[in-house]
Order: sequence, then C-alpha cells, then structure tokens
Amino acid sequence: IYDRIKSKQLSSGARKLQIPLSSSKYNHSSDFTRFLLQSSTMVLEATMICIDNSEWMRNGDYSPTRFQAQADAVNLICGAKTQSNPENTVGVLTMAGKGVRVLVTPTSDLGKILACMHGLEIGGEMNLAAGIQVAQLALKHRQNKKQQQRIIVFAGGPVKYDKKVLEMIGKKLKKNSVALDVVNFGEEDEAKAEKLEALVAAVNNNDSSHIVHVPAGSNALSDVLLSTPIFTGDGEGGSGFAAAAAAAAAGGVSGFDFGVDPNLDPELALALRVSMEEERARQEAAAKKAADDSSKQDKEGESTSQDATMSENVGTSASESENKKDDLMDDENALLQQALAMSMDDPAATVTTRDTDMSEAATDDQDLALALQLSVQEGAKDQSGQAEMDKLLADQSFVSSILASLPGVDPNDPSAEQKKDEDKAPKEDDKLQGVVHLIFE
Amino acid sequence: MSTESTSAIVRNQVDLLDFIDWTGVECLNQNTSHPFPNAVKQGYREDEGLNLESDADEQLLIYIPFTQVIKLHSIVIKGPEEEGPQTVKLYTNKEHMGFSNVSDFPPSDTLVLSPENLKGKPVILKYVKFQNVRSLTIFIEDNQSGSDITKVQKMILQGTTVETTDMKGLKKIEDH
Repeated sequence: IYDRIKSKQLSSGARKLQIPLSSSKYNHSSDFTRFLLQSSTMVLEATMICIDNSEWMRNGDYSPTRFQAQADAVNLICGAKTQSNPENTVGVLTMAGKGVRVLVTPTSDLGKILACMHGLEIGGEMNLAAGIQVAQLALKHRQNKKQQQRIIVFAGGPVKYDKKVLEMIGKKLKKNSVALDVVNFGEEDEAKAEKLEALVAAVNNNDSSHIVHVPAGSNALSDVLLSTPIFTGDGEGGSGFAAAAAAAAAGGVSGFDFGVDPNLDPELALALRVSMEEERARQEAAAKKAADDSSKQDKEGESTSQDATMSENVGTSASESENKKDDLMDDENALLQQALAMSMDDPAATVTTRDTDMSEAATDDQDLALALQLSVQEGAKDQSGQAEMDKLLADQSFVSSILASLPGVDPNDPSAEQKKDEDKAPKEDDKLQGVVHLIFE
Repeated sequence: MSTESTSAIVRNQVDLLDFIDWTGVECLNQNTSHPFPNAVKQGYREDEGLNLESDADEQLLIYIPFTQVIKLHSIVIKGPEEEGPQTVKLYTNKEHMGFSNVSDFPPSDTLVLSPENLKGKPVILKYVKFQNVRSLTIFIEDNQSGSDITKVQKMILQGTTVETTDMKGLKKIEDH
C-alpha cells in the first residue's frame, strides 16, 4: 500500500511538474526546461550540414584538432535545430575524402545524426561546389515539403573554385529559396574569405544567410558559433538555447531566481519557478476556501487541485520552505478536516473515492511532500537533504499530534466513523512511519 | 476571340481569385519586395506601381493551390512591354515543383504572350486540359526582351468551380 500511495503520488506529481523524477533522464528534462525557458518562435526547417574532412583538418590550431572542434560544433547545431522545433530535420554530408558522401539524410532523430559522426576518416580535398549541390539535392527530396531549406557549410580547407562559379551556385540556391550559412575557419587566405563572402551575398535573401569567420585561438569553435546568427537564427528561436548554453560556457553564476542556475540544475530551477507560481495561486485559493466552509462539495474539487499543488511545493527552496511549512500546517488542518468531513458526509463513497481521498490525504502530508522533494533533488542536494530529514523528523511528531487532535482520525472514535475511516486513520500514522523508513533506506 | 475587349470577363466565367488557397501559395525566385500578391490580390494588382518581380534571374515559378476543384478557362497576364513574360507554361495538379523538374513532364499548356496579351487580353486555354484543377503551377520561362528581371503587373485567372458550374450551366441553357 505504501508503494501504491507513493507511486500514485509520484505519478501525479510527475505529471503536474512534467519532470521525470529519475535522475538518469537529465537530458530530457533539461531539454524540456529549455523549451519552456526559451522563446517559442519555431521556424520549420530542414538543414543539411556539410562537413569538411579534408587533410587540412588534422591541424591542431583549434583545440584539440580542427576536425574535433568542427565535430563539436556540428553536434551543438544539431541539438539546437532539433530542439527549436521538434519537426526540424538535419542531415549530414562530408565534402572531402573520396568524394561527397551523404552520411545521413535529413532526419529528426538526433541519435542517428550524432552516431554517423563517429569513425569519419580525414583525407582528400574539400569540394565545396559539389558538396553544396548534393546538399541541395538532399533537401529537395525532403519528406516534409513545408520545411524551409538551409545548408550549413564548414569550410576548413582552401576553396579551389573561383568567385564566379560560387556566385552562380549562390544564385541557384537563392532561386530555389535555400538559405546558406558558412563557417569559415581553418585555412585563412584573403581569397578564400572573399569568395565565401561573395557566395553568401549571392544567396542572401532578407538576411536569412550568414557567414562567420572563426580565427584560430583559445576559444572553442562551438563557443564562438553560439553567439552568431547561425545559432540564434535571426535573433529568434534558438536564442534561448544559445543564451542558456552561452551562460553555461561562460561559467554562468547566480543572479538567477532562487539562486539556482538553470543550466546547472534545470530540474530544480524549473520546479522552483513552477512551484512559486502555483504556491501563489494556492495561497489565494486557500484564503478563499478558509472563508467558505459551506460549499464543501466544490471544495473537494478545489482541494484536489490544491493537494496536487501542495505536492509541487516539493520544489521550494530550503529557505522558503520553512515559512511555507507554517502556512501549510494551518491549511493542512483545514484541508484534512474537510476531506474527512467529505468522507463522513458521503456514506456512498466508493472504494476508489476513498483511495483517492487517501492519496489526497497523503498529499496533505508535509512528510510525503518532503519525501518527494528529497527524491527529486537527490542528485543535487545531498546536504540540504540532510537538513530536510531533520526537519522531517521534527515535523512528523508535530503532524502526528495534529492528526491525533482531528476528529475522525482518532481510532477511538465511534464505530460509525470508524467504518469509513478505519482504513484511513491507522494507515495514515503507519504510512507516515513507512514513508520515513522508505526515505532512510 | 477578336470580339472580346481587353478586360472583359468571358461569359459564365468568374475570377478565381476567391478560390485561391493563400496558405499554400508559393512563388520561387520572386523578389521579396515585389512578391506574388502584388500581381494577384485585389487592389494590389490594380496599382500599376506594384509588380511581381523575379530575383536571381528572369524565371518565375508560381504554385497556386485552390480551395476547391476548378475548371480554368482563360488567363490574363498584364505586364510591361519589355520585361513582361513571354513563354509561360502551365502545369496542373503537380505539387511542389522546382526549377529542375519543370522539364520532367509536359505542361498542360504553353502560352506565348504577345504584347496585346500583356495589355490585358485574355489568353484562352485548352479548356479540356483544365477540367479538374486542384492546383496550378505557372512557370514563366522568359520575358519579352530577355532582360534579367521579369515583371508581372497583374494576373487574373478566369474559370468556373466544379460544384457551381452545373447549376449555372443548366439555368443558362434553359434560358435559351
């Protein structure tokens, strides 16, 4: 039964918070966080990334090697694109080696894209024109014709084509409304930069195409790219992702709400934010409810939402939780009273209803809420968890005393109430103990 | 054909502007400051100053889906003498064509516009080929003078819708 309560509690809590409680799903939750935190302008796009795997990529002037820096940047871009719109697709091709080779056709499966980056061989010479043309062809055969077409080229090696040819290619791209982003890094000579600038100028339509020159240095290629329009996408969409990632890269510090960096612990930051809003709503509703005792039927529904709300107080920071606990205690009494009154008033209550009541009563418990809090913040908050546990013990006795004082909870009550509440009363106390044990185990 | 005035609408035909599904309209190689609605939308097309212009080169590819099935009777394309379109190919019910596959299949009709047409004289189409049109792709291959930019000032599609045709047709016949 303890498992059932706990799992029910967890599932409803998880549903409300929409955060998977297992710590192994960190990536998923961070994605969700970013999805919430960033602006939601989503351009539906199909992107082909052209990678340079020519001999020039062995050079170590970008750490650790040009090729590795490029691979990191590609990974970052793929992540950003797929995040900013779930229907975005990304494909990858290599321009050097034996010839232009498409590694993966545009897909929204990030794993597939990242997997194909493994085991790439360096060699040969970069064929820019062919690479762009093959990319264009791959985009033409994309499954979702509504997607905008974009090609991202990493130009590391020298460019052997002359300006005229590149301009023709650019015009053809513009004619077919394909946008182009060029990352000029690696080999640096004036002619190359000029050619690439001309290429992007020929393609550019309304600032949808960009070129970025990244000189060698201590900055990683990916970091430099994060601040460019290639990531921020005309200042919309991926800016949230870029901003968050840039903050992480720069060693983002406090100044965030709740003193928690969303990048270090996005789960917690999100939970804090959501719980703050819910707490505000809950307190208003609680104030309203305390004044109105007669319409208990309505209150049942309200208390359900508020019980769920209270479970979200899981996320409140340690400093705030103390104040909240005092409030919660008083309100808990009111809630418990009403819940019990409900079960007493309604003799026809089914087992399921009572089970629901029980789980709601369970949510009333500060202890269980704390237990939830602990399990959510497992990874990040060991120290504060210890403090919580101490509080838990103190609270448990407090709450037990409250419960004992409430009507209907007392096992010594007349049999009429006992019939309905016999399950409830002893179980509540036992449950408290059991949950505490579960935590400590 | 010679008795028709320059801008008269042929009997029983309606301007199909109302049946264009604007959410799906695409125009490749248009200049974004002179886009497709300039040539087609009510009010815009009457304005001589607002044209549809091509961008990178002189070709234009316009894809127009309709909200219902229509029969296309004739088309009016107005443009300047020099830069107005010359060879226009029409494809029916082919989605998302690109410049590369215009030559893959034969057009439903090929028009060569004369200067008179550019002044507003409608071009009657091979009606039998346009009986069941869900979408129309207009490929403007070149212009009158061979310049780099093609300009279209006004474009009117005339025809009838499939649902309403029968009623009107029946009525008219009865009158006779």
